Amino acid sequence: MAEPRAIVTLDCTVNGERWHGEVPVEEVLLDFLRARLGLTGAKRSCESEVCGACTVLVDGQPMSSCSFLAFEVHGKQVTTIEGLTCEGRLDPLQEAFMRNVASQCGYCTPGQILAAKALLAANPSPTYEEVGEWLSGNLCRCGCYPSIAESILEVARAQSAS
Amino acid sequence: MLSSFELLEPTTVQEAAGLLERYGDEARVYAGGAELILLMRYGLVDATYLVNVKTISGLGGLVAGEDALRVGSIVTHRALELDAAVRKGWPLLAAAESHVGNIRVRSQGTLGGNLCFADPHADPPTALLVYEASVTIEGSGGSSWLPLSEFLRGTYETALQPAELLVEIEVPRLPSGWTAAFARTERFYRPTANAAVAIDLRAGAIAGARLAVGCVGPTAMRLPQLESELAGLTPAEAGRRVMDARAYLSRQLDPVDDLLGSAEYKSYIAGVLLARAIGQAAGTEGANGHG
Ligand SMILES: Cc1cc2nc3c(=O)[nH]c(=O)nc-3n(C[C@H](O)[C@H](O)[C@H](O)COP(=O)(O)OP(=O)(O)OC[C@H]3O[C@@H](n4cnc5c(N)ncnc54)[C@H](O)[C@@H]3O)c2cc1C
Ligand code: FES
Ligand code: FES
Repeated sequence: MAEPRAIVTLDCTVNGERWHGEVPVEEVLLDFLRARLGLTGAKRSCESEVCGACTVLVDGQPMSSCSFLAFEVHGKQVTTIEGLTCEGRLDPLQEAFMRNVASQCGYCTPGQILAAKALLAANPSPTYEEVGEWLSGNLCRCGCYPSIAESILEVARAQSAS
Repeated sequence: MLSSFELLEPTTVQEAAGLLERYGDEARVYAGGAELILLMRYGLVDATYLVNVKTISGLGGLVAGEDALRVGSIVTHRALELDAAVRKGWPLLAAAESHVGNIRVRSQGTLGGNLCFADPHADPPTALLVYEASVTIEGSGGSSWLPLSEFLRGTYETALQPAELLVEIEVPRLPSGWTAAFARTERFYRPTANAAVAIDLRAGAIAGARLAVGCVGPTAMRLPQLESELAGLTPAEAGRRVMDARAYLSRQLDPVDDLLGSAEYKSYIAGVLLARAIGQAAGTEGANGHG
């Protein structure tokens, strides 16, 4: 019969780099990323899977890192906002968010951009309604929704044109 | 921070049942954790051991058969929402699943976890009752099979005994020719109320109907008396009949006041959602969607 474990080994890839070590089973992915790896892009806010400030991608899917146990990413790829920059160049979504001023305080922005990244991977040409539906779990308390949606649609248009 | 606990990872249902027996009240089944982690964070659940059912082989099946869909308890909402066979053969279930929380909750949470938690404000049970779904539960004494309507006992209450697991959900197809629709209204993600309807429309009149309402009372419920009253009516007449059935609905559904609405509002909105779903199922009202 299985024996109880308080600490487990974790082998995963974070932003393309392998991480191998041990974690307490109760450590949530958000603490693993922020405290252990120093990746502070994912933010803590509601801690209830509601707001999306803590959104990261696990094998490409948006997850609430505030309430997802770190050991669950064993053998998986985790992407945080820090991992979108490629050789010092921002992701087109990051560029579009800046161009459209799709943030005010910026607290929700990493989560919005990662959710958008997963959306465009699943659906390269979303409608405005599909953007709204997909991002309904990413709240922006500053109310930047119109420019967030416009930034995403702009990138979708540019990518389908090229 | 979550308080510390220890993790148990069984590989069979029998091993999990044995662990739950060994650790008793100190152990909790952990599936997606979408609900459990929050309950532990807020101190509503105190668990020394979590038994991870995702390491059990055989609980993740999703098989669309001739007669029924068999869903392993750890299948996620997102998998059900996206599966082509589910969307085609069990559209009411796919629709209900697509409304759960947000995309992250749907990727993390499982159908089994949803049913075992038995939160009255849930979407899948309402759709599943219209399909007359049943569940298989298993413990060290063996397995048993029962209708979902008997599994869901009340608010946060199921027929599960200590050290038993929900293993599989079986969802029969609707009789051929029936059409169905799901209607829902929400505040703060979780549904305020929802309705699932399937009808057999022949020459413009209803020959058979199944109606279910969720979130209004302690569990989702079928409405047998109202179902039989719809026989022979046109969809428009049926819509008016359910709207007029407020007294029956409030008797039958046992609504309670809560943060999402008063009991009176909920029995009213149940009628509205049923009428809307009847219209949609009959093809006389726009596509499936949020209320
Ligand atoms: C922000 C938010 C919004 C939500 N919105 C909705 C919504 O709109 N509609 C809706 O229906 N739900 C909603 N939910 C609820 C959530 O989707 C479900 O409760 C979820 O699917 C739970 O599944 P889980 O696998 O994560 O369960 P867990 O959290 O792992 O477990 C839940 C409970 O079930 C028990 N359990 C789990 N699996 C089994 C099993 N196989 N056998 C025996 N016991 C078991 C656990 O011990 C625990 O008590 C929402 C949740 C959140 C956090
Ligand atoms: S902090 Fe995780 S969803 Fe809000
Ligand atoms: S920019 Fe402030 S919360 Fe979105």
